[in-house]
Amino acid sequence: MAAGKKTKKTHESINNRLQLVMKSGKFTLGYKTVLRTLRNSKGKLIIISNNCPPLRKSEIEYYAMLAKVGVHHYTGNNNDLGTACGKYFRVSCLSVIDPGDSDIIKTLPGYHAGLCRGLSLHYFHSTKITEF
Amino acid sequence: MVKFLKPNKVVILLQGRYAGRKAVIVRAFDDGTRDRPYGHCLVAGISKYPSKVIRKDSAKKTAKKSRVKAFVKLVNYQHLMPTRYTLDVDLKDAVSLESLQSRDKKVTAAKDTKKRLEDRFKSGKNRWFFTKLRF
Repeated sequence: MAAGKKTKKTHESINNRLQLVMKSGKFTLGYKTVLRTLRNSKGKLIIISNNCPPLRKSEIEYYAMLAKVGVHHYTGNNNDLGTACGKYFRVSCLSVIDPGDSDIIKTLPGYHAGLCRGLSLHYFHSTKITEF
Repeated sequence: MVKFLKPNKVVILLQGRYAGRKAVIVRAFDDGTRDRPYGHCLVAGISKYPSKVIRKDSAKKTAKKSRVKAFVKLVNYQHLMPTRYTLDVDLKDAVSLESLQSRDKKVTAAKDTKKRLEDRFKSGKNRWFFTKLRF
């Protein structure tokens, strides 16, 4: 499920797209609001930093799998993600509600549709419940 | 972008007396009500799981071990962990908002769900729902 080496060009383009979302779209920052947007199915894309605690990361991915929402693992820690959002604080996870002028949702989740599929397979194998 | 907190979804309670217990959503209130201005749902769950039955057990012991104690509760969405499982048990006529108004109505609602859940357990389906979550 490795994405492969993230080239500098695509990383910059994600930063640009995030910047556009911050300027023109709707988003929420932070774990609690991310779960809230997933529950009420307003979230369209979730971005998680790479130093998000693994349990929390799995939880967000599970919710996103249930809600059929793409998850993007940002190459950078919460400090970098906060900076990419133009904020002076750390952001571990964020949820894009309305992308505005940005095309971040169109360009990213294709990359993660496979991840979500892989994720649900992973859960199937790990829980070993075949007869439910 | 798909709503998943719908009736018949199995959830695990995270807080409260029933933390760690599995429950099924009977009715969801996404936008809340006047009394509870947050997303919440009416769940019916297992308060006491059925014990493990072995081949040596007599019929009387099997019957005693296969008992399920149920509960009915209104829970905030934040205190639930949704799962990918669903449980198709018709609880809508047994459990309703008004069955939580008074204590004896709550008891009859719990007894009614207990009967339905026990029948489902004895039929051998949805076995994951009736196993205790180990943590």
